[in-house]
Amino acid sequence: MNTSLRLSLGILLLIMVNMNALGIDNNDPVLLPVKDDPTISIRLWFKTGSQDDPSGKEGLAWLTADMLSEGSTANNSYETILEKLYPLAAAYSADQSMEMTIYRGRVHKDNLEEYYPLFLDGLLRPAFKEEDFARLKDRAHNYLQTILKYSSDEELGKAVLYDDIFKETPYRMTTIGGLKSITLGDIKQFYAQHYTRNNCVIGLGGGYSPELLARLQKDLLTLPPGEPKVPPKPKYEPIDGLNVTIVEKDAKATAISLGFPIDVLRGSKEWYALALANSWMGEHRNSSSHLFQVIRAARGLNYGDYSYIENFPRGGQLQMPPVNAARRQQIFEIWIRPVPNETKHFVLRAAIRELHKLVDNGLAKEPFELTRNFLKKYALHYAPDTDSRLGYAIDDRFYGIDGSHLEKFHQMMDELTLKDVNEAIKKHLQYNNMKIAIITNNAEELKKQLVSNAESPIQYDSPKSEDVYKEDKEIMKYPLKIVADKVKIVKVEDLFK
Amino acid sequence: MSKTTYAGLIMMLAAPFALAQTPQIFPYEYSTTKLDNGLTVILIPMESPGLASYYSVVRTGSRDEWEPGKSGFAHFFEHMMFRGTDKYPGPVYDEIMTGLGADANAYTDDDLTVYHINFASEDLERVVELEADRFQNLKYGEKEFQTESGAVYGEFQKGRTSPWFVGMEKLQDMAFDVHTYKHTVIGFEKDIKDMPNMYEYSQSFFKRYYRPENIVILVVGDIQKDKTLELIKKYYASWKPGYVPPQIKPEPPQTKERTAEVSYPGKTLPLLIAAYKGDAFDVKNKNVIAVSLLEELAFGETSDIYKKLVLNEQRVQLIEAQFAFNRDPFLLAVYAMIKDEKDIDYVKNEIYAALKKSQDVLVDEKRLNDLKKRKKYSFLMNLDTPDNVAGFMPRFITLTGGIGVVDELYAAYDAITPQDIQNAARYYFTPEKRDVVLVKGEDK
Repeated sequence: MNTSLRLSLGILLLIMVNMNALGIDNNDPVLLPVKDDPTISIRLWFKTGSQDDPSGKEGLAWLTADMLSEGSTANNSYETILEKLYPLAAAYSADQSMEMTIYRGRVHKDNLEEYYPLFLDGLLRPAFKEEDFARLKDRAHNYLQTILKYSSDEELGKAVLYDDIFKETPYRMTTIGGLKSITLGDIKQFYAQHYTRNNCVIGLGGGYSPELLARLQKDLLTLPPGEPKVPPKPKYEPIDGLNVTIVEKDAKATAISLGFPIDVLRGSKEWYALALANSWMGEHRNSSSHLFQVIRAARGLNYGDYSYIENFPRGGQLQMPPVNAARRQQIFEIWIRPVPNETKHFVLRAAIRELHKLVDNGLAKEPFELTRNFLKKYALHYAPDTDSRLGYAIDDRFYGIDGSHLEKFHQMMDELTLKDVNEAIKKHLQYNNMKIAIITNNAEELKKQLVSNAESPIQYDSPKSEDVYKEDKEIMKYPLKIVADKVKIVKVEDLFK
Repeated sequence: MSKTTYAGLIMMLAAPFALAQTPQIFPYEYSTTKLDNGLTVILIPMESPGLASYYSVVRTGSRDEWEPGKSGFAHFFEHMMFRGTDKYPGPVYDEIMTGLGADANAYTDDDLTVYHINFASEDLERVVELEADRFQNLKYGEKEFQTESGAVYGEFQKGRTSPWFVGMEKLQDMAFDVHTYKHTVIGFEKDIKDMPNMYEYSQSFFKRYYRPENIVILVVGDIQKDKTLELIKKYYASWKPGYVPPQIKPEPPQTKERTAEVSYPGKTLPLLIAAYKGDAFDVKNKNVIAVSLLEELAFGETSDIYKKLVLNEQRVQLIEAQFAFNRDPFLLAVYAMIKDEKDIDYVKNEIYAALKKSQDVLVDEKRLNDLKKRKKYSFLMNLDTPDNVAGFMPRFITLTGGIGVVDELYAAYDAITPQDIQNAARYYFTPEKRDVVLVKGEDK
């Protein structure tokens, strides 16, 4: 029962992020060579994303990225591309988010020569065929119209929250109308405008040779030079009071997301202080989350409850934070996984009350110590492999971080004081002005309860501890100041039109 | 992140194909030890400075829920295992884990339940102690038990919003009459609702299945073999054996096609699931290995049907097959999401035609070789972190009790010929072994 082979080739990890200048304007390559790594990761960062969608053509950045990674090229049909990639166990994709698009691939060194031309063709020589366009547009439409609206209430709640906060800004949600109006001509134009040499940063990681970098740099010269035009960061409308959007549907359980914009970004000391507080309040999919403890562990009302200070797409699938979804404008967000319909008002109160307590009282010494020790080691798991570390290095560039965010994270956990954390909480968090998205049934009835600030007693199927009952009496009466004209009811079928 | 802890990956992958003559594909040296109480311990040291993964694989999943009215308990137990012991009550366990900065989680599947922790290897002893303690001394009161059942029902509700879940629930219920694969992993809804009343039963479930003979500990990463084994002996040796196997009834052969249509409360494109009764996993059974390759050859991205229905005619949003490995005969299933309701029969017939073709025509030798190459490279490219190495193993551990089968499996893939694939297709894909479920949305 044992294999005899042990290949111990040694490791040399050198994070070499070229640092001549910092931030979004710096186009120097981001390099992360790992000697003896038999795989190579390529991440080409194009400084474009949904924020560049023209008005009325929402979804254009998304479809353009899909056309590059899942369409035919001048040299091969998409069918042939799949066939050629197949034995290499490799693929390429274009991951598009609000501000970034990453054209990327990972391949075993043995297969690089076969892979490289295919990878590059996808980016440099897209065929933009009608049949690929029809297929991908149809898929995007199905996602918006049926999957998002009907089979993922949690993702829907988050989409509605972000759309409510960033309506009328370039961060707005993709619309069905926008998607429908997109033509192949629009795609070609978007591609020509945004996939340009001056809008691209090469990221390379793993066991690549220096020649590969030179080769990529030379080959990317066929992209037009372009004039990068990054739109200004979105100017969101300040939120006044508690603004509720109730999405009415025949929901068996209620999904809730709530939040408000925050003006602090990764890299600053305040951000790390706030990250510590946020981790205590709601570390993603971790039972150390305080909200998780209150709503799930003590009361069994759902599957989990978390909070965020950075956008976290695909939260249902990812265990650790995503890379290359960076944004210049972030929100503080609470994600409450579906709760029984009859408890929705109670749970909303419980969550906001916890936020209220955190803002008013700050973090105590003991949880502060516990959380910083937790994060020092937990952050080790954020990027365990070369490819995700390369992603982090690119995000470091985006945020203009001098050095590595993950190293800084570790270091800041030693440096931060409780006072730093509590000051950051006071400065950036609050509980009076926020958007709340609720996906549920009987919307009118909920509206009445919310507006009248009616008590929301809770009954459990099973006995709870005395402490829980005692606290429930406070939660059920916790005042939420919600006025009628700030509660909007939308039918699910009318969303994202 | 400090450079010392981060230094990362080991790259043993550089040479694997120099070894093509040997049947060994798994590139790490490992040891397997059985303690006196029956606990199996597999240790895989790899260079991952400062990091390790600790997996406790319980060879019990929803398959083992054989008593009527008790479906869903394997999964429920996964939740209860975080509720603590006398020595480390739930909140204390959580606090210690939080202090360790460990990434701890668990999942339940049809044949297994897996508890996994990624942690800083300097904390190894603490992790061994905590895991050994909760597996031996789990203790929870009726109140906590009942509260957790609420969380499980919440999870069921979350899952229920997927039309695929609705389809699979119907498929398994219809395809199996007596075998426990009749229910999905999370269990029948009526059983989940009744869980709060099953406190005593839950304890008997724990006593029968959470025993050393039924559990394999797998530790991967920056560890020393001898020291790790010593620690595991220290904390687990006192664990008493007492595993009681489940009384699962074998499913009689299916003799007639079964079909059903189920409605999904909401909007969805129609979903079609066409499944055939398979065999239990056995690496020496050529049919099992060959048909698992056919999954990709007949329905993967380079298959004729994918080209036709997804790329050219664009009648389906998605088509894929899953011919998985299970302890008992399960289902070889093909899934399609169809764009237009009027194409349902057309797509169904195309699926049948693709299977018929695999019975009538030998697969192209080059395509088969391409697939074998792909399987090897994708396996090797994903052995770069302790969690990835460990995460690949639990199913093989539950199927066979160890991980030696991984080398055997890749050797078995290598030996498969086009003729073997044709034989397997002829053996499995007959109409009387077929179960078909169609899911349609209620909202048009």
